[in-house]
Amino acid sequence: MRSTKLDTSFDSNPSKDFLRREYDKAIISQWRAELGKPLKYFGLPAWKMLDVIEWQGFIDRFTTIEREEDQQHLMFLKANVENVEHRLHSLYGEFDDILLNGRDTFGHRPEWPYELVNLDYFGGFIYADLSRPKALRKLIENQAIYEQSFLFIITQQLRDGDIKKEKSGFLKDLGRSLKSGILDTALHAPVDEIVSWYEDADIPDCARQTLYMNYFLRDWGEAEHFDVACRPAIIYPGTGGSWMIHFVTDFRFQSGVGHRVASNQSLLELINLGLLEARGKGFVPTRFVQPKLSIRKRK
Amino acid sequence: MASEVDEVKQNVAEDSEELFYAAAVPILSEDLYPRKIEVIREYIQNASDALDDWLKISDLIPSDRTEPQIKISIQGKSVLIFDNGIGMTEEDIPKLQRIAYSEKKVGEEAGYKGIGRLAGIAVAEKLKITSTSYGDPKLYHFEFRAADMRKDISDKKKQGINEQATPVIKRHTKTWWTDIDPADHYTLVEIRNIKDSCDELLDSDTLIEYIGDIGPVDFSPEFKEGALISENLQRHVPDYSPKTIYLSRPDGKKVRVYKPYSDEMKIAAPRFMEISDPTNAGELLAYCWYASNAEEILGKMRPSGKIFQVEGEAVEERRRFAGLVYKLFGFSVGDRSLPERTLWTTAVVRAKWFTGEIHVVDKNVQPTTPRSDFIENAARVKLYAEAQKRIPPILKNLAQEISDNRKAFTDAKTIRQKFDKYKTQLENGGIERSDLKVIKEDLDKSFRKLGTRKNTTDKEIGAYQKEVRRLGETVQTALNDPKKLKPGYSITDLAKELDMSTKPRKVFQIIMETLQQHFSQDKDEYHEIAEKIHKALKDKYV
Repeated sequence: MRSTKLDTSFDSNPSKDFLRREYDKAIISQWRAELGKPLKYFGLPAWKMLDVIEWQGFIDRFTTIEREEDQQHLMFLKANVENVEHRLHSLYGEFDDILLNGRDTFGHRPEWPYELVNLDYFGGFIYADLSRPKALRKLIENQAIYEQSFLFIITQQLRDGDIKKEKSGFLKDLGRSLKSGILDTALHAPVDEIVSWYEDADIPDCARQTLYMNYFLRDWGEAEHFDVACRPAIIYPGTGGSWMIHFVTDFRFQSGVGHRVASNQSLLELINLGLLEARGKGFVPTRFVQPKLSIRKRK
Repeated sequence: MASEVDEVKQNVAEDSEELFYAAAVPILSEDLYPRKIEVIREYIQNASDALDDWLKISDLIPSDRTEPQIKISIQGKSVLIFDNGIGMTEEDIPKLQRIAYSEKKVGEEAGYKGIGRLAGIAVAEKLKITSTSYGDPKLYHFEFRAADMRKDISDKKKQGINEQATPVIKRHTKTWWTDIDPADHYTLVEIRNIKDSCDELLDSDTLIEYIGDIGPVDFSPEFKEGALISENLQRHVPDYSPKTIYLSRPDGKKVRVYKPYSDEMKIAAPRFMEISDPTNAGELLAYCWYASNAEEILGKMRPSGKIFQVEGEAVEERRRFAGLVYKLFGFSVGDRSLPERTLWTTAVVRAKWFTGEIHVVDKNVQPTTPRSDFIENAARVKLYAEAQKRIPPILKNLAQEISDNRKAFTDAKTIRQKFDKYKTQLENGGIERSDLKVIKEDLDKSFRKLGTRKNTTDKEIGAYQKEVRRLGETVQTALNDPKKLKPGYSITDLAKELDMSTKPRKVFQIIMETLQQHFSQDKDEYHEIAEKIHKALKDKYV
């Protein structure tokens, strides 16, 4: 009989542990208190379900997506060993496909809506076919159908540097959005400055990704009647030498609003959220400090 | 097809070394389970044995405080059976690739013959088993790609190739291991991507009912007689050890599975019966509990005397627990028709008056592979013969007794209502003298009927009968007291009422006085006739 090394790409490390056990957990605890009931979870926890196990005190039922058959089987095993098998609702297939098609490989559907979504995926945000952004947008739309506020945690790999065109387009849009909200054209110069800073090829991708992920989440959320509150993105060293980026965002549904919601958090505040870096058991000063955008009337 | 299958079974039974062709594997696995849900029983049986094996050594590992349990859940199109029993060792895993190989000890464990471990291949695309045993740092994985194998066999058959089973099985199975905490011990079976035609396996309610009916589970706390039955079974059946089995429902609720009995079913107090070995006095062949439906009689639930039934729409559904069922190591063998077929020769319907279980104690009695009966051997012959001598006669007598008691009560109750009515009429001065004859006859008839139901064995029903009789006697005494009846019939009053002239009145008086004289010994008869004449004249002239 041969031995097989289990897929370790989702294995934890001290930084990831810190985020899960302390940073995320504190936010989830508050979110659970705000909603006043145990949270229904939807996510990609990998077979060890470290997040589900860590947060199980706040979670009721949890829907997981797994695309590897053996990994899904191990998840069943883990759920039984941890005695949470009755709370598990496991879907099988590609995350993007399930969200876009509404069903998994066996025709089973997510149990919409959810109060906590945690997507920790090995890979970046933008692929050539844009299936990931489409899937995330679909998720937000589905939540909106049920008018359900949710906490959205996304963790992804920092490896999007090659998709220049999409990002460049995004930055131009961002500049236009900002300028359209500022009537004094004399103040448009700082906007152009910060956009060109982000466009600079020498700027590390994590800085850009911080901005565009939060921007997209906010944009999609507002379009679906959510008041979106972003937090600074967190970068940390992942398993196997890769760098990961982590976002935790509040989506509060605004019922009775017929038009696009304007979030309480301004676009300016979002741009200035910046970036945190986690290493080991805490945050460390990050090497990537982006310029702050300041729009004040010139004297 | 049948002969082909029989031949395969024969091979399986006779030789644990694989001797048959690959084409037989799917036939064998599918033929064994005419009801596909029976596949689950095989895995519960294995899990139950694993728990028993673990319990034998768990005292040596005081640090392990896990509750031995079996957990069943449904995920997508998979059914999962988990147990935290002894687990499998590195040597056990390759044996999964050998059909009909088993080291289970006949008479000591529930499952045997080694076919059950692969039962899932009859109903699903894949079978995945993961297991580890205490102290072993390896988690073993086994995968059987059943759908691929079926296709492979079918393709080969078209080409006229008929391979032996082992190489084909090996081609479609995979075993490997990964690291694990050596303190872990469990087995998880996943029957993956179950065929649409077998979707009852994916219905949690069906599984709960099925496992409760056939599995080695305890009585529900919602069945108050369960504790007593369980206590008796613990005392008399050496291998009686109900397992904790949980099933997760799709709504996220985890329910413990129990035997199907509950107080809602209205079950009378259970009784017990030993079936002993005549050639070895004192040795039990089997131990039986049985009970009938009950209804509330005199403030207590008493056997009601009819075919045992529960709530349900169709008759078949209502009668699904009617009759006894054989149990071996806590598992059902055959359904409730098996004791009927093997023990009852007459009055079979009386077998259905009771529900219950016959726990086989004799370890030489073994189930057939599909668990539809016991293997034909001397032990089975003895079991059936002795059970036949004991169970039907006792149940028939009890059924008769229940019937007698029920009739005794029903009659007494009806008579009491009648007596109560007369008593009330008497108290209100509402009994006519003309009605006396009929009432007295009715009383006599009621006393005679009470007399025919004297053989009740239920003391409280007997006491009730006596109470009713005493009430009747009180009424009888009162009827003989003219003061308690309505005033008698008056010839003068009637003549006046009919407005008779002098001559007819004289004639009428003569006739009535003559009648009065004639019936001087039977005044009730006179009053009855006088009433009739009175009524006839009134109808005609008033």
